[in-house]
Amino acid sequence: MLARSPLARLPDRALKYGLTALAALILALIVYFFIRLVGEARPAFAKEGVPGFVFGNDWNVGAEHFGALPLLVGTMITSALALLIGVPVAVAAAVYATELCPLRLRAPLTMLVELLAAVPSVVYGLWGIFFLAPKLQGAEQWLADRLSFIPFIGGGLVTIPNYFITGLILAIMILPIVSAISREVMATVPADHKEAALGLGATRWEMIRLAVLPYCRSGIVGGAMLGLGRAIGETIAVTILIGDSPTLSHHLFNQGYSLAAVIANEFGEAQGVHRSALFAAGLVLFVLTLLVNGVARLLVARAARGSSSGAPGAPGASDMTAVADTAAGT
Amino acid sequence: MSAHGASADRLARFALSPARKRKDRLAQGLILAGTAIALVPLVLIIYYLLHKGLGAWSSSFFTTDPTGNTFFGGSSIGGIKSAILGTIEIVALASAISVPIGIGVAIWLVEYGRSSWFANTVRFFVDVLTGVPSIVFGLFVYIVLVVGTGSTYAGYKGSIALALLMLPVVIRSAEVILLLVPAALRESALALGAPRWRVIFNIVLPTALPGMVTGVLLAVARAAGETAPLLFTAAATLKTSFDLGGFMNSLPVQIYKDVTSPTTAVVNRAWGAALTLVVMILLLNLIARLIARRSRLA
Amino acid sequence: MIKNKMGALAGCAILAVGLAACGSSSSSSTPSSTTATTASSSGSATISGAGSTFAAPVYEQWGSSLSKTLTVNYQPVGSGAGITAIESKTVDFGASDPPLKPADEEAIAKNGSPAVQIPMFLGAITVSYNVPGLKTGLKLEGKTVANIFLGKIKTWNDPEIKALNPGVNLPSTAITVIHRSDSSGTTSGFTSFLSEVDPEWKSKVGEGKTVQWPTGTGEKGNAGVAGGVEQTTGAVGYVEQAYALTHNFTVASVKNKSGKFIEPSLASTSASGEGVTVPANLGIKVINSPAASAYPITSQTFVVVNKDLCKAGIPGGEAAAKGVVKFLEYGLGEGQAILAKADYAALPAAILAKSKEALAGLQCNGTAIG
Repeated sequence: MLARSPLARLPDRALKYGLTALAALILALIVYFFIRLVGEARPAFAKEGVPGFVFGNDWNVGAEHFGALPLLVGTMITSALALLIGVPVAVAAAVYATELCPLRLRAPLTMLVELLAAVPSVVYGLWGIFFLAPKLQGAEQWLADRLSFIPFIGGGLVTIPNYFITGLILAIMILPIVSAISREVMATVPADHKEAALGLGATRWEMIRLAVLPYCRSGIVGGAMLGLGRAIGETIAVTILIGDSPTLSHHLFNQGYSLAAVIANEFGEAQGVHRSALFAAGLVLFVLTLLVNGVARLLVARAARGSSSGAPGAPGASDMTAVADTAAGT
Repeated sequence: MSAHGASADRLARFALSPARKRKDRLAQGLILAGTAIALVPLVLIIYYLLHKGLGAWSSSFFTTDPTGNTFFGGSSIGGIKSAILGTIEIVALASAISVPIGIGVAIWLVEYGRSSWFANTVRFFVDVLTGVPSIVFGLFVYIVLVVGTGSTYAGYKGSIALALLMLPVVIRSAEVILLLVPAALRESALALGAPRWRVIFNIVLPTALPGMVTGVLLAVARAAGETAPLLFTAAATLKTSFDLGGFMNSLPVQIYKDVTSPTTAVVNRAWGAALTLVVMILLLNLIARLIARRSRLA
Repeated sequence: MIKNKMGALAGCAILAVGLAACGSSSSSSTPSSTTATTASSSGSATISGAGSTFAAPVYEQWGSSLSKTLTVNYQPVGSGAGITAIESKTVDFGASDPPLKPADEEAIAKNGSPAVQIPMFLGAITVSYNVPGLKTGLKLEGKTVANIFLGKIKTWNDPEIKALNPGVNLPSTAITVIHRSDSSGTTSGFTSFLSEVDPEWKSKVGEGKTVQWPTGTGEKGNAGVAGGVEQTTGAVGYVEQAYALTHNFTVASVKNKSGKFIEPSLASTSASGEGVTVPANLGIKVINSPAASAYPITSQTFVVVNKDLCKAGIPGGEAAAKGVVKFLEYGLGEGQAILAKADYAALPAAILAKSKEALAGLQCNGTAIG
């Protein structure tokens, strides 16, 4: 009785094939992009060899010797910092907005955090270097002196542009996207999950920890991945803030370089092998994001298998028992 | 022993221990602190922008094009009209390209592709694309569409570079949101005999709309503020233009050119332009949310 | 209801795309089209250029002065990208600070007509410092500057600086070197000066748009270095004259080839164009000029075009070729007079004459248009 005529099934078919074709097209575009990049980068790899380029510790334009290690390390350090500082703050803001905030303040608060996304990257860079960096220099020097027994953080001269300030500004830049996605995900936690926890006697924080966060885990990770992508690829702000010194610095509060920054700085004047080296740097970024995403996926998949429920990210039976246990004071 | 005593015992087990109370208060305090930390930079930046940029605002600031006439004193340098209009045009075209395509791919990933190897491959590569620096997108379009075809800079080429930048963000955020639409909603609609396409357009999309609007707005905000992709593709002209096939000015490029100028009045104009950009995106946010809210209640 | 709202949104998007599509001319993707960029209101021509960031404010100003009859669209993408742009015919003229290398000349000539580089104006690179109590005019030798930037001289009261400035009260403040982080012609000019005057610099660091700085902090752009110098007490950095003047920096008087200590000024900058050998292709280098009153750290900038613009196939076609000539005529004429207003230096008479000669030789499909 509910069978439909082949004609009626046409829109469904059209949609399915249309969208599949679209997805295939996008995949083809990305592959083409990758191939073009490789093509432009080849002369540089031919000159240095792939491991020589990626792990060579010397970016010397004058001598036409291109080893991208200092750049790679700079990108990794600043992005790691951005995640370390930015994700907890973003998730905290999201939790506050969805769970703890008075209803009237919710919309204005959300709007304010998202306003951070409206600021152009060049403004972040300039604000960072002219306002924030000089103000923090004293504190950074104090920290470096006090913690001189910790390698990498302590000891050494503090320069105004450095890894730390870059990571800090990047953290601010990724705040809106991580927070917004986390918030959207948290807003869809079924009310009965939360009420069940509260009904069992959980405190507000326990309810969040047991009913909200596990449900949102993969969504939050998705947001964090987008934030990380932004941090890895951010160009202009990093160029202004990192000091652009193509040497591997041994201190957090010293200047360094990043892959994206070197492209922005040198492309205008680059020709020949130098130009292709810059494309190679872009390719390295591509591969870096690939690896990071791969690892993140593995971690999320493993965590999801750990919880016993089938639905994506939904709390499993073990979580519910945990709520009851906590509520019972055990 | 007595029923009274037994229930009191049971209730006592569920009583809130001081340790748990402390943890709760500490956690809530930390969360509040985190939120405050998130807002502090915003306040500082907005203040800084206002302080440096408000002085440049005037009615002529918005209604005259930049003149390049920087040698003869502050009053003749012009405003940023062409930059504002250019940004609107270029970003509108970029959104018109990336939003439908992005949402289409996200729908496919959630509804049709699901966990197939093909879908996972697409997902993976889209994720990877999020980490590509904006300048590389600009350079890609530059090699393919400008140098490659031997043709000149054009506004629409800048839009393409920006669309490439926006695409992964739109796809990924839309996918996250679409995954949250409860399966029960789809299943009940399908059980009632609705065809797949109707379920998607009438049930799934409207439910996911507010969340997707957020993702799209974030992508648009990012695209509107990016300089690098436009430098090598759209190229700037000082005059207002409605021709996306030719040179087109834009706020980020104007800011970038002005902020490095030796003339103080021009630098001030850069800050005024930066403030304008932030205000424009704020307005866009407000308008889009209003539309999304109305469509939800309807 | 929902459908209506979404339909409205979709309709808006389609309308926007439609307007954009209608607005854009159809020939935008065909190479060497003559209609794409020249169609403009009131019959004025449009020309496009790209290259040197140093020259950008000047070309934009000249464009503004000519705006009634000519629209000049200039992209400050850097000298290297400017040369690439003229090589690939994406613009009507290129702009470069360093003279063309033989490889570049060959590549541009491939378009069907030899490359012509025309010197347009000069600028000075100042050694700016921020030391409380020290006024403008601290005497420095090329070698001393090199030693500062090599990190060998670490404080302002170093004996080497003292020897050159007897009677000046030099504080013991530490020197913070600030250099450019991005590739630039300014770095190229500064380092080529240091390479010429100090063999140690030449072997250790060399010259170029990007070099391995032995010491110091990198900042982006002239504005960045200027900001860095302003912010840090004891800082020294190399900035274009225009920025030094805007920020009221104290600048050093540098010893020139003739042995005199010259302060950077428009007159001393223009003087650096005198006495330099002018090669046949006009690829002059004014750095460390032998003229007696010349400031030694100066830079030139060129406009790069094909000799026969139309034959080479510039995007703007014949109208743009004529427009480029008009632009250059203005620049080498009235344009030289207004340079002073923005603290750029005009060409000395001898070189100006040669530039005008080169301009007169420009052609469109065989007919002279210069």
